[in-house]
Formats: sequence, C-alpha cells, structure tokens
Amino acid sequence: MAKINENDLYGTNFSIESMKVIAESIGIGNLQDDAAKELAEDISFRVKHIIQDSAKFMNHSKRIKLLQTDIDSALKVRNIEPQYGFHSKESLPFRFASGGGRELHFIEEKEVDLGELLSNINPKTPLEVTLRSHWLCIDGIQPTIPENPPPISKCIQKLESVDPVNKKPMKETSGKPSTGKQKLKNVETVQIKQLATHELSVEQQLYYKEITEACVGSDEIRRGEALQSLSSDPGLHEMLPRMCTFIIEGVRVNVVQNNLALLIYLMRMVKALLDNQSLYLEKYLHELIPSVTTCIVSKQLCMRPELDNHWALRDFASRLMSQICKNFNTSTNNIQTRITRMFTNALTQCDKIPLSSLYGVLHGLSELGTEVTRIFILPKIRGIGARIETYLEGNLISNSDKIASGHIKQLLVKVISPILKSIRNPPDNLEEYKQEYGYLGVVLHNAVVKARTQPASVTTLPSSNISTSSITSVGQSIARSVSSGIIQQSNTQSRTIVMGQQPQRITTQQNLQQKVILMQQRSQPNSLVHQQHTQSNTPTTVVKLVSSQSAVQAKQIQSQQKLVVVSNQGGFQPQTAGLQTQGTLIKQSYITQQQQIQQVKSIDDLSQLT
Amino acid sequence: MSGEVDKNQLAAVLQVLKKYNLKGTEELLRKEANFTDDLDQQDSDVSSVLTGYKSDGDPETYEVSYLELKRFVENSLDIYKHELDKAISLMKKFGPEQDIYYQEDLKRLAMSNQFILRMSRDTYSLLKRHLHDKKASVLLNIVQEHLYFDMYEGVARNKTQIDATSGAVGGEAKRQDNKAKVYYGIPKPPDMQILSAPVEDEEEVPDQDNPDKPKKKKSKKDPLLSKKTKSDPNAPPPDRLPIPDLKDNDKIEKLKALREASKRINLGPENLPSCCCYTLLNSNYTVCCAEITEDSSKLKSMKSADQLQDVNIDADDVLVRMMDERSGESSRTLCGHGGPVYSVSFSPERTLLLSSSEDTTIRLWSLQIWTCLVVYKGHMFPVWDVKFSPLGYYFASCSYDRTARLWATDHYQPLRIFAGHFSDVDCIQFHPNSNYVATGSSDRRVCLWDVTTGNHVRLMTGHKQPIQALAFSICGRFLASAGTDCSVLIWDLSHGHLVAELTGHEKTIHCLSFSRCGNVLVSGGLDCSIKLWNFTKLTDDTSSEDVNISHNPEVKTGEDYLLRTFQTKNSPLINLHFTRRNLMIAVAVFDSVPT
Repeated sequence: MAKINENDLYGTNFSIESMKVIAESIGIGNLQDDAAKELAEDISFRVKHIIQDSAKFMNHSKRIKLLQTDIDSALKVRNIEPQYGFHSKESLPFRFASGGGRELHFIEEKEVDLGELLSNINPKTPLEVTLRSHWLCIDGIQPTIPENPPPISKCIQKLESVDPVNKKPMKETSGKPSTGKQKLKNVETVQIKQLATHELSVEQQLYYKEITEACVGSDEIRRGEALQSLSSDPGLHEMLPRMCTFIIEGVRVNVVQNNLALLIYLMRMVKALLDNQSLYLEKYLHELIPSVTTCIVSKQLCMRPELDNHWALRDFASRLMSQICKNFNTSTNNIQTRITRMFTNALTQCDKIPLSSLYGVLHGLSELGTEVTRIFILPKIRGIGARIETYLEGNLISNSDKIASGHIKQLLVKVISPILKSIRNPPDNLEEYKQEYGYLGVVLHNAVVKARTQPASVTTLPSSNISTSSITSVGQSIARSVSSGIIQQSNTQSRTIVMGQQPQRITTQQNLQQKVILMQQRSQPNSLVHQQHTQSNTPTTVVKLVSSQSAVQAKQIQSQQKLVVVSNQGGFQPQTAGLQTQGTLIKQSYITQQQQIQQVKSIDDLSQLT
Repeated sequence: MSGEVDKNQLAAVLQVLKKYNLKGTEELLRKEANFTDDLDQQDSDVSSVLTGYKSDGDPETYEVSYLELKRFVENSLDIYKHELDKAISLMKKFGPEQDIYYQEDLKRLAMSNQFILRMSRDTYSLLKRHLHDKKASVLLNIVQEHLYFDMYEGVARNKTQIDATSGAVGGEAKRQDNKAKVYYGIPKPPDMQILSAPVEDEEEVPDQDNPDKPKKKKSKKDPLLSKKTKSDPNAPPPDRLPIPDLKDNDKIEKLKALREASKRINLGPENLPSCCCYTLLNSNYTVCCAEITEDSSKLKSMKSADQLQDVNIDADDVLVRMMDERSGESSRTLCGHGGPVYSVSFSPERTLLLSSSEDTTIRLWSLQIWTCLVVYKGHMFPVWDVKFSPLGYYFASCSYDRTARLWATDHYQPLRIFAGHFSDVDCIQFHPNSNYVATGSSDRRVCLWDVTTGNHVRLMTGHKQPIQALAFSICGRFLASAGTDCSVLIWDLSHGHLVAELTGHEKTIHCLSFSRCGNVLVSGGLDCSIKLWNFTKLTDDTSSEDVNISHNPEVKTGEDYLLRTFQTKNSPLINLHFTRRNLMIAVAVFDSVPT
C-alpha cells in the first residue's frame, strides 16, 4: 500500500518553504509551520481551480495555448477581480534550469531599450484578419500547392527509406482512388516487396525539365529562380531520385569533358537540395558524395588549369562535403569518419597525386574542422612543403604546377597558422618552425607572429567550431583572387540567422553556409531582424533579401559593408530599424545587385558560389 | 486535471481518509472536500458524509478490507477464469490497476455520489456472497451507501467492452436511463405535396427566359417528392413538436434545397469529396468560432456570396464578420457582446444569427438590418454553445452553469432547462427532426434530451475526457461525439449503445460533420488534420449485428473506417461543413507561431 510521499506530490502542491518565502516578502517574519501548511494546501487548491477553469476557456477558444485572457475569464467567473496589466502580445518563454540538485523555473526577461521605445511613436497596428481560400483536396487528392503542407513529411520519408515496407501502398502519394481490383492485388502480393514505381505526373515532368534546363542553362536569373525553387519547395521528394541522377550523370560527363561551368552549376544544385528542409536526402547520399568528392579531388576540372579558377569549385565542393557531414553524420553511417579516412588515404600518398588533387584533399580535410586539420594535415606539412618547394623554387616547372603549389601554400598557411597559434606557446622561434615544418616553417612563423600581434578578432575562433577555417579563408582567397586578376569569391561568411521571436537564438558563426531559417510569422512586432556588420579586413557586402513568402535566393554584391535584411511579408517596418533610410538603401542595393549580377555573369560564374 | 495522485488510487483514498479521520477535525474534512471540489464536483453534502465515517471507528479496517477484497478478486480470478470468465469485470472494477480516468472519481466515490457499476447478475451474487462470507462490514457499508449496482441478465461483458463505456463522472450509465423510446427517425417533409402546385406557379415566373428549365424541373420533382412519402416507423409524429407554419418563402427555399440535393454527388470510398479550405490569417488567437450557413449551395455556383463568418474577440467589443466572397463588402461587424463569442449559429432561413458569449448572454441578430434584435439573459455563466433548430424558431444553448436550455426566438425566457450534468455542458446539437437535443459535457457524458418533456432519454458514457463536438447522422439514428480525448465515438440512439470508437487524431477534436449523403463522417481538430471516416461501412457492420437493450454490440475501432487524412499547414480546424452538393468546406485558423 503505497503512501503518498513527497515525490508524488512534487509540483502539484506549493511547499511550505515557498509559503514562508512569500510571507517574508510581504513582511510576515515568522510564519508557523502549521499555518504555512494550511496556507499551502488552500492556495494550491485555489490555484488549481483557476487553472482548471481557464483551461476550459482555452478549450472553448479552440486553442492549445493558455492566454492571460483565459485566466482573467476564469477569475471573472469566480467573481474575483482579474489581474490587470499582464497582457503581453509576445509569448514569454518559460525556462527551466537545474543544477546542484535544485530545479528552477523562470521567465527570461528581455532588456528593453527605453530610448528605442520612446522613439517609436507609432506602434505597429495589428494586421487585419483576412480570409484566404484554397483547395485542400480535390476528389480526395491533395494538390501540391503552397497552401498545403508537403505531401510527405520528412519523418515519413525517413521511415520509408529506413524500412520500405512501411511505405503505404500508393494510397497517399498517388491519390488515385483505389478500385476494388487494385485492393485485391495488394492483398495477394502482401508478402512481396512492392516495386517502387516512381511515376511522375505531367506537371512534375514539366517541372523537372524546366528546373534542370534552368540550372545548367545560360540565363543566370532563371538559374537563381530554379535553385531557389529547389532549396525551398516542399514537394520535391518524388522527383528527388531523378534530380540526383541528373546531378550524378552530369558530373560524370562533365568531369571528363573538363566543363568547369557545368560542374559549378551542378554543385550549386546539390547545395540547393541540401538546403531544402523538407527533403530527406539520406537515401541518395551514396550517389551524391562520390560526385561531390570528384569535384574536390579530380585531377583536372577545367580546360586551362593555369587560367581557370577551378580552385573555387574545389573550395565550394569541400564546403558542401562538410555540410553533408554535419547534416547527416550519425553513429551508424559514420559519414564524417569515412570521408576523413578517404581524404587521409589520399594524403598518405601525397607524393604521387597531382597537385590539384592534393589541394582538394587538403581543402576537404580542412573544412572538416580544426581537429581534423591538426591530426591529419599537421604531421604531413613537412612532406607537402618539400614537394611544393620544388615547384615554387625551381625554374623548370610548368606554370600550372607553380600556381597549384602557390594555392596549396596559401591554403596551408591559412588553416595551419591558427592551430599553431593555439597549440604553441608564445616565443615563436623561427628555427624551431623551420625544423618542424620544413619549407613552410618560415611562412607559418610569419603568419603566427602576425596573428599574435593582431587583436583577437576575426582569426580567433573557438577551436570547437567545426569550420573554423572558413573566415580566414575569405580574406585569403579574396586577396589571392584579386591578385590574379579574376573577380571571384565575393565572400563566404559563415553565419546562421535564425529568425524568430527570440533574438537570443541567433547563433552566429556556426557553419559555413549562409542559412536562413524562416519562421512564418505575422504581426510580431519584432519580427524584423537587422544585422549590420562592418568588417575591416573583408571588403565585401552581402545583401540578403528574404521574404517569408518566397525566400529570394541569397545574392551578393560587392561594396563596403555587410548588411543582412530579413523582412517578413508585411514589408519593412521602420521602428525596428537601426537604419532610417533602409527602404531606399535596399532599393539601391538591389539595383547594384542586379548590375553586379550582370557583371559577374560576364566574368565568371564562380561569384555565385556561396 | 490537477490532482495527479499516485497509482494505487483506492489505497490512497483510504489512506487520506484515515489520516483525516485520525485528526478528526471538521476543518480538515472541509478542506478535503474542497480538494476534491477542484475536480469540478458538487460538494454540498460532502462534509456530512465524511463525518459519518468518523463513527466507523478504526480506519485500519478500511485498508484491511480493501486488501481482502483485492485478494478475493485475485483468487476468484484464478478460480473462475477458466470456467466463467466473469470475475474479470470485478477485477477491472476493484483491481489495483485502476484506469487513470477513474482516479479522480474514486476519490470522490468515498464522498457523496452514488457510483454506478454495471455487472451481470452472476458476478453480483458472487461478490455479495463473498462479502457476507468474510463479514467485511466496512466494505459492505461502502458498497451499500455509495455504489449502485446496475444488474442485467446475461453474459458478463469483457474487458474491452467495459473499458469502452467507462470513464464518465459518476460511473456508467444505468440501463434504466436508456429505456425510453427515442423517435430517431426523420419525419417526411411536412407539406410538400400541397406545396408543389403553388410553388410551381411562382417559380415559373423567373424561369420564363429559360424555356427548357421548367420541363426539367417537373421530371425531377416527382421522384423527389415521392421518395419521402414512405414514412419512417421511428419518426416522431409530425405534431409532436409545435412549429410555426412555413411561409411561402420558406417553402420555396425548401424546394430549392431539395432540387440542389438531387444534384449532389454521393460520396464513398471510391468517390471522395473535394474540400475547399478557408484559412483565417492574422488571427492571433482571437478567433473562437466560425460558422457556415446551411445554404452553401450558392457558394458552389459562385452566384452569390457564401456567408462564412468568423467571430473575433477583442478586449471589450466583439466583431462578427461576414466574409463575402464576391461583393465588395467583405465583412460586417456586429458589436454588442461584452466578451469573447464562443459560438454562433445561423437560422435555417439565413436571416437570423445567434451568438453566445462569455458575457453570459445570447444575442439574436438580424442579417437583414444588421442589428441586434434580442438579448437572451438566463444563463448565469459563460454560454459555451448555441444552436438553431433545423426547423428554425427554437434554439438551444449550453453553459458553464451545467445546464442546457431550450429557447424560442419569440420568448425571452427559456422554455426548457435541461439539468443533470455534473459539469459544464460544452456542446449541444439538435436532432435532425428537432425533437431531441444532445449535449456533451465536461463530466464526460453525452446526454440526449427530449425537447417536449425536458427529460433525458439517453445517457451515454464512454468518453474519457470532456466532449467538444457532436453531430447527428443524416438518418438520425446515430450520434457522433468527440472531444479532448482525441477519439470519435459513434452511438446508436435506438438503445444508447456505443457502436464504434474512431481513434487517430492526436489533439482535441473540435468539429464533426456528416456528408449530406450520410456516407462520410469528417472530423477535424487542433492537430491540423481532417480525417474522413467511412460511415456507410460502419452502419452496415452495425445493422448486421443483432442488438437489443441488454446485449451490447462489439465496439468497433477506428483503423478500418479511416478513409483519408488531410493535413493543413499549421492551421487548426474550427469548422467543417458540407454543402448541399457535398463539397466539403473547412475553416481553419493559421497559427503563425509553431508550437
């Protein structure tokens, strides 16, 4: 016969202690234990009563969320004066913290800038309630339109890929009403694994044709739109096998033909698919990873290795690879480990592989994080240094090898110096460096010394970050590209912008790719998030215009500052702006952006690689 | 529910009792009473009952006798399991594995109410004999004072059957409750025959420009009218409920509806409906309800506006909007209520609108002059739901004050008060023949009330959580109810049996609707999904079984009947409706903040 012990009642009753604390707070010093107990029970009961009643009001308002108005109504029903002044439009996140055996529930309060509050003379009026109609289903088939959710959610896609038996027999996807005959068939063949028929509707076939044409075509604007569609459309999962086949075959053919531009386009498609939140790509990784790897380490990717910038493609593909690792690595598939092993195996025979491949391998490894860089690249530095020394210092060697060696040198300096800085202690002895790192010791020494003298800003990132190298790579690659006279690589800042009500959730410098997570929301007063960044050493500007209805693809132009503007569909609201003239600013930058695109396109497609 | 108490509930109750008895003060007993009151229970005579227990002396005996009983149940299980399989029901009742939804009730059990248990005669005698043998006087006392055994002849039910019907406050429904005859049939439309001649004259005038239309109409009308001439044996006599005579306008309307109905598509598993979804944007949790006029056929032809309206709550005034698809004026605001409007209902002739609000009033609005006509004051607490009768004139409302009331539009006081629920009456629905009203309550019971007498004629238990939606089948024989427990229960009104339990939803169900042909039941709720159920199959399966009042049919469960699920994009459903041509209309509220 179990007794009601304290644990069972945890959280259902106020404790005597809290009664005492509350009593103290209103000036009653020594509350008796008995009195506190009485009070605690009585108050618990009353609070429960009010909660129960307010839950009724919530239910009848057809909500799941309990609002202050519900509690007010419940109080009103009991003939108690409601609590005034607790109306907040925003939801207050209720936090939980535990530590030292204590548990604490609290509400996180935001700091309010009074100056900003005062300057907002006109608060935003809430939007009018509007009605919008659409077809939820037509004759039992749910049309794939933006108003409807994606036909198969990610978790179901996952379930299907893990266990194909789970796939419901054509019921949901095809939407065709199953006739009696079909049913009979299903019953008969229930033990046999069903043939996966990937029937595409005419619309889907058209879409596929349009998208693939646009992605590899010459029209940059159309390509932007197509990639945008690939990265945001929720209903693509049926076409995913075809898209993957397209990419794989494309890479296979174009590597042989050294068609750099097409390879870039295909990699951008991969990126778009990776960015699509509603797709479950895991099923196709075994096909995609080899293609991406090809673009990283292939001996030759372009017709004129000494002129064309195939390095950017390698960089881009490496970043894709690290993104794949991050997104899909699990303890069962061990993608990261396997990819690291693949690159490392190549690195062990670094004397034999071509320099371009070596560059790819190094870049691929460096993208996998500082740990990987430290463990796998650092010990090899001597050998690599010796090899590129012969190309850089010698005179007999072809131009292409020299360029390749230069790239490798810069890459290594860029990725190794931060590590050296952190693992070695300050007195940097040039001789020691030379001894340990051979040919590259001098440059590494210089870089480390330079990094130490600089104030810790851009180059020092927490070593736990997976893609530490990205930011430093920006400056380097730009400097390099400018010197070589080709405009490329306008930027790769690593930022993740999470839009939402909680600005504290914005996590920066997490990964390499620009990722904008949009939450559809309306009439949230602070839904407009402005990020303004000025960076002294990277003269790049990124203007991102992302609307919540259709996320316009991120595009980049070059100018002096970095500005990220995220807007919801309600347009730009002045009061949250740090900028007073943002409307015009955006307009201008949009124009420049357009011009820039034209320019960029005429020069090289690489500038679109982000 | 707030009071989450531990698993061995009965033991706990006895423990608590023991504790309080030892202390023996009246205050504590009161508190105990209050404590259970939080489970929305009446507490008037609680303290007196409790004081009665004090005299019973040593509280240890409770524990002892409980243990004894448990042992008996377990023993008898071993003995009879193979032979009779009866004691299982006892086991179910008293066993330590009390179901969660009884926990609160059991606590109350010791307090005041008679808790009703249904068991077969054999089981009952078995229990009785045992109690006498053991001389467990304390237990016998409890049993006599607080348990009501509703005996019936026949085989003891199995566990699933008991499970299905248990759950309500106060135990299962008594057999006596469901004995009265219910005229669940639909009477033939009253005076269509007489009507046909004058209407044709009237109709022909506007149809002059369309020469081939009258011809068509004639051929169609005859089968339409003759179809209904065969009278339903279960239908109530036509003069059972007085209704005002139909005006000519209404007759035309009726005929129109019939003609429209002849064009409808019959739905079924091979012929699924289309659904038009209206999503309310920017609502910010302010929309409580939406309603669509019965006459939605006009929507389909897009000739005139559909009258979809949503009610918007603000801090102190209430907006009623008429969303109009075609004309420029898209919305109307009806101001008057002093609190959130929880329900609205259109009159069948579409000229009147009722709204019920938190401010305890019901208002009648004219949709021709857009003003409030009457304020019905009668409920003392927030009015949760209001519904017009399918024939007009009457309407019914239900409230937080645990009553449902019947009103007529020309009386400012209620005609009937339906009292008997132990908790809030959350939803109400008129039977298609207007002679009955069904209510669903937070005490987890569904009740059917006779409008003419005001008595309850059916009491149906089986929900495990408050009930939020009710719908009568087109044939009038079945009632569907759904609520917070995420399942749709189908009841056979002829005997009050639970027919089926359709599970599949993940959150509260707020709307239920039958297709006009009666073949498909749709349910929608807060989990942003609409589920279509095959109702024809269900009725076929049911009618094939031999059912009488004491024999319970096997309760069917969901999966076989689910036809299709449609998800909306993060928009909880607040209304579902079928047009006369069987187009489904859904109203959803877009929830901008994902939870």
